[in-house]
Amino acid sequence: MRASLKVSVFPLVGLLACALILGAQSSKQDAAKVPSAPASPHDLSGVWTMHAPASARGYIGDTFTKDEPAMTPWGEEQYKATKPSNGPRTHTLDTTDDPVLRSCLPPGVPRIYLQPFPLQIVQTPNEVIILYEYDHTVRHIYTDLQKHPDDLTPTYMGHSIGHWEGDKFVVDTTGFNDSTWLDRTGHRHSDQLHVVERFQRTDRDTLQVDISMDDSKALAKPWVSQLAFQLKPDWKIMEQNCADNGSFANFEK
Amino acid sequence: MKTRVLALLAIAVLAVTGTAFAHHGAAAYDMAKAVTVKGVVTDFQFINPHVLITIDVKGDDGSVQKWQGELTSPNHLARAGWTKSTIKVGETITLMGAGAKSGSSTIWIRKIVGANGEPVSLGGGGDN
Repeated sequence: MRASLKVSVFPLVGLLACALILGAQSSKQDAAKVPSAPASPHDLSGVWTMHAPASARGYIGDTFTKDEPAMTPWGEEQYKATKPSNGPRTHTLDTTDDPVLRSCLPPGVPRIYLQPFPLQIVQTPNEVIILYEYDHTVRHIYTDLQKHPDDLTPTYMGHSIGHWEGDKFVVDTTGFNDSTWLDRTGHRHSDQLHVVERFQRTDRDTLQVDISMDDSKALAKPWVSQLAFQLKPDWKIMEQNCADNGSFANFEK
Repeated sequence: MKTRVLALLAIAVLAVTGTAFAHHGAAAYDMAKAVTVKGVVTDFQFINPHVLITIDVKGDDGSVQKWQGELTSPNHLARAGWTKSTIKVGETITLMGAGAKSGSSTIWIRKIVGANGEPVSLGGGGDN
């Protein structure tokens, strides 16, 4: 009796498994035929890579605008003293004082966008997390805080809070130290830096980020820029370590 | 030793490429000094921050000069389909790009042509 039961059950299990597999495959094929639905404007998740318009490609890898930002005398003096590797005042790796290239310091915000690697946005109920491929840099943008904590400890990447205004995710970042640069061409900032980013998914494949940098000590007026990113559904964030750059300091002498 | 420089490319070809350098700037290279060298691969390092290819270039007098070529990051090339085995030791390739200001046998690679005469894709994958 037991033996006959085993014999009769196994084919049934097999048939059921086959049906499930075929069903799953069929669903997959059906799903592949259906055009992808437009993304929700409040869904920023995915891997994105910078995609500048042709008009911006001459500078966007290094800085945020074609024209120089309006700097205060202090900001101008600081800028002239820097020795960047990128941009028109280029220095070799053994002579630059770029804090990212010399010491692998975190790039800060918004310079992190100019590090030439993609980013991934992950949304959770309490925060939006940006995973930048460059040197495993992570930003936590808290959506469950109404304001920044008092008496913030200054940090390279600052403290970020975010909220939605219609279809725009507005991120307010403050609490910076003054060790990073605003861009890769040597524009410096003070610990008064205040950055506001407005993320908007203008279509399924495009993420627009409007950036405003305000720093009364370094900038005579806010420095504003607009970046565009392209969705890369097939890309994964990979390993990239700044520490590996050290091996190139002598290579280019 | 006479280096086998096969051709000089138009300055404009390099000038229009803009900010293609990855983690650092172009200070070590003379973008107007376009160089093409053909040789046998002796080393291929698929490493961060930049991928390196070393080739032996044979001069007209039979002497051999070592050239080292610098590419973009392995992550960018991986997204263009590269792996650590894409370039093989022993194969003959042609490297084209910008020469070093220092005069060393170093080149910032802008184009690679394989032994079959076909260009090897360096990918695009967006601006970064």
